[in-house]
This record gives sequence, C-alpha cells and structure tokens, in this order.
Amino acid sequence: MPTMATPHRVSPFLEPGLRTKPGSLAVVQLSRDNFLPVYLQEHTGEHDGYIEGAVVNTRFGSFPHSTLINVPWGSQIRASKVDTGSRGRKRKRQLTENSEGATPEPATNGAKTDTAEPDDADAETALKQAVADSSGFVHILPPTPEIWTTSLPHRTQVVYTPDYSYILYRLRALPGSTLIEAGAGSGSFTHAAVRAVYNGYPGTTPRRKGKVVSFEYNEDRYHKMQEELTQHGLDGLVQLTHRNVYEGGFLVDGGRSPEAEAVFLDLPAPWEALPHLSRRRPTTDDDGTEWVSPLHPKKSVYICTFSPCIEQVTKTVSALRRLGWVDIEMVEIMNRKLHTLRDRVGLNLQVDRGVNNSARDVDEAIARLTEIEERFRENVRPSRGEDTEMAEEEGVSRTRAAPRTEEDAAAPTAKFPWQDGQLITRGEPEIKSHTSYLVFAVLPVEWSDEAEAAVAAKYPLGKEQKVVGAMDKKAKKAQRREMLEQKKGDRKSRRKERDEKLAEGAVV
Amino acid sequence: MHSVVRPNAWTVIKLPSGNTRVILVVPNSTISLGKYGSFPANLIIGRPYHLTYEIQDKKPDEDFCRLRIVPTEELYADVFADEESSACETPSAEVPKPLLSTATGDGTEITVTENGELVVRSGREASDVLVRQTLTQEQIEELKREGSNAGKDVIEKLLLSHTALDQKTSFSLAKYKALKTKKYIRRFQMLPVDIPNFAHWQLEEREPGKIMDMRAEMLGLVECWGNAHFSGEEAYLEDPGATCTQGEEALAPIRPELLKGRWLVVDDTCGLLTAAMAEKMGILQPDDDDESDRNEPQQAPDSDDEEQPEVAPKKDGSDAEMADVPGTADKTGEATAKRPPPKPRASDFAIPFSQTNTITILHAASQPNLSFLSYWGFDATAPNHPPHPLVNHLLSLTWLQLLKPELDTTYSIPALTAAPEELASWKPSRRGNFHRKRRRFARVRHIVDATRTGNFSGLVCASTMDTVSILQHTLPLLAGGAPVAIYSPTLEPLARLADLFSISRRTAWTSGSAAETVDKTAEELERWPGSEDFPLNPMLLLGTSIQTSRARQWQVLPGRTHPLMTERGGTDGYIFTAWKARPAEGKVAAKGKFKRRKLDAGVVVEGEVAV
Ligand SMILES: C[S@@+](CC[C@H](N)C(=O)[O-])C[C@H]1O[C@@H](n2cnc3c(N)ncnc32)[C@H](O)[C@@H]1O
Ligand SMILES: C[S@@+](CC[C@H](N)C(=O)[O-])C[C@H]1O[C@@H](n2cnc3c(N)ncnc32)[C@H](O)[C@@H]1O
Repeated sequence: MPTMATPHRVSPFLEPGLRTKPGSLAVVQLSRDNFLPVYLQEHTGEHDGYIEGAVVNTRFGSFPHSTLINVPWGSQIRASKVDTGSRGRKRKRQLTENSEGATPEPATNGAKTDTAEPDDADAETALKQAVADSSGFVHILPPTPEIWTTSLPHRTQVVYTPDYSYILYRLRALPGSTLIEAGAGSGSFTHAAVRAVYNGYPGTTPRRKGKVVSFEYNEDRYHKMQEELTQHGLDGLVQLTHRNVYEGGFLVDGGRSPEAEAVFLDLPAPWEALPHLSRRRPTTDDDGTEWVSPLHPKKSVYICTFSPCIEQVTKTVSALRRLGWVDIEMVEIMNRKLHTLRDRVGLNLQVDRGVNNSARDVDEAIARLTEIEERFRENVRPSRGEDTEMAEEEGVSRTRAAPRTEEDAAAPTAKFPWQDGQLITRGEPEIKSHTSYLVFAVLPVEWSDEAEAAVAAKYPLGKEQKVVGAMDKKAKKAQRREMLEQKKGDRKSRRKERDEKLAEGAVV
Repeated sequence: MHSVVRPNAWTVIKLPSGNTRVILVVPNSTISLGKYGSFPANLIIGRPYHLTYEIQDKKPDEDFCRLRIVPTEELYADVFADEESSACETPSAEVPKPLLSTATGDGTEITVTENGELVVRSGREASDVLVRQTLTQEQIEELKREGSNAGKDVIEKLLLSHTALDQKTSFSLAKYKALKTKKYIRRFQMLPVDIPNFAHWQLEEREPGKIMDMRAEMLGLVECWGNAHFSGEEAYLEDPGATCTQGEEALAPIRPELLKGRWLVVDDTCGLLTAAMAEKMGILQPDDDDESDRNEPQQAPDSDDEEQPEVAPKKDGSDAEMADVPGTADKTGEATAKRPPPKPRASDFAIPFSQTNTITILHAASQPNLSFLSYWGFDATAPNHPPHPLVNHLLSLTWLQLLKPELDTTYSIPALTAAPEELASWKPSRRGNFHRKRRRFARVRHIVDATRTGNFSGLVCASTMDTVSILQHTLPLLAGGAPVAIYSPTLEPLARLADLFSISRRTAWTSGSAAETVDKTAEELERWPGSEDFPLNPMLLLGTSIQTSRARQWQVLPGRTHPLMTERGGTDGYIFTAWKARPAEGKVAAKGKFKRRKLDAGVVVEGEVAV
C-alpha cells in the first residue's frame, strides 16, 4: 500500500536511521535464511479484526506492528498474545482503556540506551498494549539489497548477490553514475544498483546525481515494480520506463539521453538491444533522422550482459565486437555457502541429533571389542585348560584397556556438547551450479581528429627529459645520481626520490 | 573515476601479453615499455582511457615514436575473418575450403586450406605464396631489432617461415599466431587506476600477500555485504572558535544525532580495502564532473620538479593544516555545497571531519598502513594535505586510543594554552608548533570520542589479527542491524568464528548455561568480555554465514569457446557475514510453533532452526 507521496522520504535501503519508522519497509527475520518484508503501519485503530492494529503472524507467534515500530534496528522482538481466535469479535473496550496512558513497556532493551534520539521516542500511540507471549521471537532488520533479493516477491528469475556484487564491481557502478538496466524483472538487481550509484536525491545539491534508468516491457511487471519503487522511497533514483528496448532503445523523457556510463542487460537477446547502445547511429538503420546516443559522451561505458546459454553469449560477444566494444570478457560466478558444525563421533557421547555413536578412534574400538569379548566369555564358562589360559591373557589386556574406558566414560569430554568434536565445514545441501554467463565489455569514447588536435596543442612534444617505466639499469642509476646531486639535503628531493622509487617499483 | 589520462596521474598500461604496468604519467617525460618500445607521455595525456595504441616507427626527422590509435576493426581482424569464413560455408568442389583465415591489419591474409596448405596473401605484393622457409634465430633477432611496422612484420615472417605450419590444425595455428602476436606486437592500452584494475594488478602481478590475496569476487562481496554506499551529504561541526587560552573545555562536543553513515574498517591490505570502501562511498577521488572534463587539464602542475603533488607547500602558522579552506573548495566539488562559508581563519579546535559518510580505521601500529591510497592522491601520513575527500572523511585511531585512551599521550595530555601576548613573542616556528599540537589534540579527541559513541553503520574487516578479538571490541560499537563483513584468505579462522554463534551455543546462552551472564544488564552483555565457553556473546550477531565465490573465465571465439585452461590458484578467499542484533532483555522463549525439519541425513541445517 503506497504511503502518501511525501517528498523525498529517504529510502530505508539507503539511510535507514537507527530505528524503525511507521510507513516504511522493514524486514522481519524469522530464522537464519527466512526473511519477511513488512511495511510497518502506524497504529490507527483496529485492523483486519485485530484490536492490536496490523499484526504479523508467523510460526513463532504474532507480532503487532506496534511492537515493531520505533524500535532500534536489529532488535529482538517477543511475540505478543493476540486474540487470533476471536478475530472479528470485538474485545471489551475496558481492556484498551486500562492500558491507556500507562507507559508502554518496550519489548526490547533498546529504549534505555538510545537517549540519542529523543524526537523518535513517542511510542505512545498504541491503543492496546501488546502482551508478551512465550511462543517465540523475531528480529527486525533494515532492508538491504541482500535481504531484499532473498525475500522479494518473485516475478521472474532474479540476479542474486554473488552475481550482482561482482557485476556492480566490474561495471564501476559508483556514487554519481548513471546505470541503464533492462529488463527490470523483479527488481533484484535494481535495488543493488541504486545503492551503488546513490549520492543523494535529485535537486538536493548541484552535483550530478546517480541514477538507475530501468526498462521493462511486461506491463504487469512494470506496474508492480513502479509501485514497489515508490513504497521503497526510490522515486527519483530509479526511472522506470515501460518499453521494449529491442525496438525502442534507451532514451528517456521522449528522446533525452540518460548519459549512462554503465549498462546491465538481463534480456533474452541482448544483441538486439546493443545497436541502440552505440556512440553514433549504427550503420544498419539510417533513416535520416537525428540520432541520440544514450551513453555518456565523455566517459568510457561499461557493460554487462547476463545470459544463461552459451549460444546467447556467442551472439552477444560477436555483436559487441562489431559495435566497437573492447576488453570483452566472459565469466561465470560460482558461489558456495559453507555451514560450520561439530563432527561428533564417539561411543560415549550422549545420543543426540548429529551425533555419530560409533568408535572415535582405534583405542575406543578396542576397548569396546574387549568389553564385548569379556561379556561373551563370562557367559560361556571355560571348560578346558587352554581356554583358561586365554581368558587369563584376555584378563591382562582387559585390565590394560579398562582404565581407558573409564576415562572416556568420565569425560563426555567437554563441558558443553557443542564443544565436543571437530569443527568442520560443509557445503549447502544444494548449490546453484549455474546462474548465467556474464559478458563484460567497455566502449571507449569517440576520439575525433579535432579533439586530438586540441589536446596535442596543449601538450606539445619535444621537451621530454626523463624516462619513466622500464629502463635499463645504467639509465636508472644515472638518473638517480643526477637527481641526488641536484638537491642534496633538500627535503623535497627526498620526497621526490621516494615517489620515484614508487614509480619505478610500480613498473618493474 | 577520471575519463581522460590526467597529467601526473597513476595509470595502468596493458600490454599485448595481458601484463599490466602501473606508471605515473609525468608530462614531458618518455614512457618506456621495455622491449615494446617507448614514446612521449604527452601523446597520451588528455586522451581518453581504454584506447589501444600502436607504437609507430620513428620518422626520419624525429627522435621519438608517435602513436597510432588502433581501430577496433583491426583489433578484431582475426576474429572477423574467422566469422566470415565460417559464415560462407558453402562447400565448392574447386575452391579448397579454408579451415582458417586470418588477416593482419595491413591486408596480409593467412589462410589454411583443407588440404593443409598455407596460403598467404600479402596485401603489399598482391600475390599468393605458398611458403616453406625457415628463419634462423639471428634473422628473428634482426627483425626484432628493426622492429618495423609495430611488430607485425616479425609476426608475419615468423608465421611464413614456420615449415610445419601447414600441418597444423586451424586451432594450433590460431594459437601460434596469438602467441607470437603477444610477444612481438607493439601495442598497449591505457586503463585508469581504479579499484578493479589496481587490485587485479596487485594480485596477479605484484604482491598478492600485501592485499591478503583478495580477489575481485571477494571485494565485490565484501562491499555488498558490508552495505558500503554513500550515506548522506557531508556535515560539519561548527568551529567552537577556541582562543589560544582555552583548553579542553572549548572543544566542540560530539553530537551523536549528526553522526550518520559511518563504517568501521580494520584493514591489513595496505589500504586496498579502505580504498574500495571509499570508492563505494564516493570519497576516493574528487568528483569527476563533466565541467572538469571539458576544461581539462586543470592545474597541470607546470612541469616543475614536484611530480606528485601529494603535499601542499607548508604555510607557516595556524592555517597550514587547513589547506582545504580558501579558494580550493571548488576542487572538492561537493564541498562547496554544505561547507560553512570559509572563514578567514579556523580556530585550532575546528574539526575538519564530516560527521557523515565516513570511514573510521582501527589500527594496531601507531600509524595506519594505508600506503596504497597514494595511488589516488592521498597520503595518510602527510600533516598538511591538499584537498582530497579522504582528508575530511577518513578518521583513524589506534586500538589503544579506542580501548584505553587514557594511556594515549595525545588524547590524555591537556591541550597547550598560551596568553596572546606570550604567543606573539614566540618565533613563528614555535607558534606553528603550538597550533599544530592543539589541532592534533582536538582531532584525536574528536575521533576517539566519536568512535566510542558507537552507532556505526557497518564493520568491514580484512585483517591478520584474530577476528574474535576484533569483534569483541567492535560489536558494541555497531548500530542495531548494522552489517558485519569479514574477509579471510583462509576458511579456518572464519569457521572458528561462526562456531561461536552456533545454534547450540546460543541455546545454551539463553537457557542460562553461562553462569556469568546472570544478572547482567543488556549493556554489560553487549560488552561481554569473553569467557572460555563463550568468547563472544553469541546473541550479538544474526544470520552468521560463510561463503566463497570464484569467477571462472572463458575464452569466447568463433568455434573455440571454452573456459580458460589455467587461472590463478592459491586461496579463493572467504567472507563471513552477519548483522548486529540487539537481544531482548531477560529470558526469551523460543519454542516456535513448528517441528524441526531434518535434512540431509542427520545434519541439521542451521537455517531451519530459529536463531
Ligand atoms: C530475467 S528478468 C530480469 C530480472 C532482473 N534482472 C532481476 O534481478 O530481478 C528479464 C526481464 O526482462 C524483460 N524483458 C524481456 N525482453 C525485454 C525487452 N525487449 N525490453 C524490455 N524488457 C524486456 C522481461 O519481461 C523480464 O521481466
Ligand atoms: C590429443 S591427441 C590424443 C592424446 C591421448 N588421448 C593421450 O592421452 O595421450 C590426439 C591424437 O589423435 C590423433 N588423430 C587425430 N585424428 C585422427 C584420426 N582421424 N584417426 C586416428 N588418429 C587421429 C592425432 O594424431 C593425435 O595423436
């Protein structure tokens, strides 16, 4: 539900502040990898039958929004008793009145340490004071692209953190950049991209503001995404256009260039979109009209295309070469998550989940076997002399083994079971072994003869003095000696020599 | 990131072999690329990055080599030829089907036919030749010495003279040519020194140990999981206007409500991690606005002797360290926007640090080792630094200053004071010293006090120190929900760390197994000093997780697409991630209304269990 358009409510993804706020997105963490995005609603009265107002119901219990609002991020929140059974049936008014005016008891420990934000601290709007329930707890986290990626409503395949982190790194998506994206899909990449390019909302300072210029041709997805962007406070930072980019290209606002310096294409046929991403009209479609490039005219442009099949890669790379892109590289990212656990093996360990009740080592095996043999022998009475002899032998070895067994029994080793056993790591039960192939390339700026002439005039040739870079030893020595003599004792020269060394060290 | 090569900037030069060199482009110098040749630096200054140049033969009347920009059609000539030959695959009886055809930039075309013949069509001689000669080593050396036509002659001759060439398959021919091209062609490409290029160079060609073997994949992950991003316009504390008779009492107090978007960084990668974070926060380099591109070059430090203007000439007296005040604000771009109008002279206790969008470095030695920042024009040790965003956004303090400030001299010794008349009677140098000390005092006080105020937005770490000890002291400084991202070249330290947050340990903690926790306040538990059983308070982190990533690189060529045969080995690198939690006070029941799911033969996957 989009909140009223407040101008530039800073996105909780970008500047979440220290506490949760009403009307803003928060993430309820149920368990380690289980996140639930929640748009926190101010308590304005009964909601959906709950007298507590809006409530988040989970398998760990119920959490009225009032217990989630205006608490420090990261807080552990206890479940509350809500009247789930009697939804729709109104509770007695009295209950409400009783809690009115009483200081709300915060469900977390946060309040007392956070005197820093006095203006935020009015949590007294609660109509009905939530009562803690023992069914469990959750944590509340600020939304980040990493969390959003795993909890967003899926409308398409999405780009996950291992891929987008590498892509944004290689695309040089930095504060102030403009990044073109198509198609927007479920907005996973969009959220990570906008964090990377963000350097303030438009109009706040004269500096050029970073922006994501996104395209999606599926109308339904376009609308859903637009709604989400507004809810997330990303209007003005992400410009979403409903368009087929193969045909329509990447200009915005009816023909203006977004002047992008980075491009990400997650489309079935990137090569069909590539001609639009040129510096000048591609030779293929000269219809005599004026042609505007969507790229930044004065900067190298970095691109990444994301395709699952190798045939797509072949076509994309071929098109990139023909269109003048350089430094073409293709990689695939393989990511693995590792779980740590204690490998507990031992005959004397408490029977428990994850415990392997077999012999820990050869000694333990021998001790156990000896014990079995002994018991066996006690049952079968010795009738002949030789057996007695053997039994005696056994007896000897048993006495030797016995103390060891006792020792083991006495020490289910550590004080706590989780200190037992060897610490080991294990991969996840299932890994994403292929997401997509990532093609990277760079398009340098066009360098005209006029531009060259202008720069050449500024930096005339013929005054070359020294050599930088690889030099033969003699030349290096001579140069250094010369320098030393020139400015002996001068601080500056010492500095300079250090820099020189840095420079040399750098090239050798 | 700059879009053109600026005078006196560090740049990366990529050679045909794929090797890179990092050099300082000094105006009016000659850049030598060893066997590939040399050329005047002025030929690349002011030109855009990513262009590929060819070093041309000296003209008879010039004593230097000029450069030629190699058009992309020429860079890809071989591939285009391949593509064309496979495109017109209509087999004809007469014309032997070419297995491979390669063209050099100047029109020479080498074709291997199906019958195993090598046909060379030389653009210059306009005739087809079937070649079977050999070159002696001397002849090759001679060719190299002549080195004409940007090395292409050598390659061509070598190809022509390879007697076995006609027996080779198209694959090995292509490989052979590529190999020889790499070795002899006199081409290079200009790249900017940004984080990816610099890190790649350190890792692959310099000293990977210096950056703890940190790969691109890991830097990308750390940046994202650490949530590094721009987070707020810079804001400054007002100058308290302290007079020279005032001490400590005149310091500007910390204003916790202004402190926003601050990251704690522990960096044993000589500053690479810090630089990467700074880049993501928009404070590694001054804004590269279009304006500056248009009227570049800006102040090309006119060929005087200072080749790397790291440190401004020292002015004497009080404003020396405030080199960022007058007349220079336009260089730092955004500084103009919010900075209070430059006052004629800032007081000693004026704090030059932004309260937002900052990096705070914790270091173990008395100075942080951030030497790599010099590639982006910043010297952490320079007392009087010319304008640079890091001057106002990078704060550093020692572990001692953080944990036992009373033992730190600068922090604990009261500020010097002096009566104005006394001050006036001193020699300028003594006066300078006096002010310098007072400024240092105010800054150290500010950094330490602000850091101890806590509420950091994230912790990012790549350190050789024991991570448990780092977390013990930094976790209390993090705001709730703040991310923690710790890089380690090896898995074991991170596994040990993750084990401290295992479900069973957390359960034991909450069920009161740690006798020491009883009756402790949340505040005390947050500053848990660590015990043998619980080195860290296991409730302070959420969603602890370890991961690793590896990029596998492919060669994409017509009919010859496959992963690279060899890549850098060694360690892959790992990262530990989590978020700072604020545990509820008192016991918290965690029954859950569900049954634990058992997965994967007896192994309980932690994700399935309540945290
Ligand atoms: C795989 S999804 C992108 C997922 C997205 N990168 C994410 O991380 O959530 C591909 C999207 O591209 C859209 N698309 C496909 N062809 C398009 C075109 N020609 N123009 C615009 N969008 C297109 C599809 O509708 C789909 O939503
Ligand atoms: C890459 S080598 C095989 C290496 C071998 N598998 C090993 O492990 O040592 C390929 C061999 O196949 C031979 N070969 C190629 N085409 C052939 C054909 N049509 N009939 C028989 N042998 C062929 C080549 O001469 C070459 O020796």
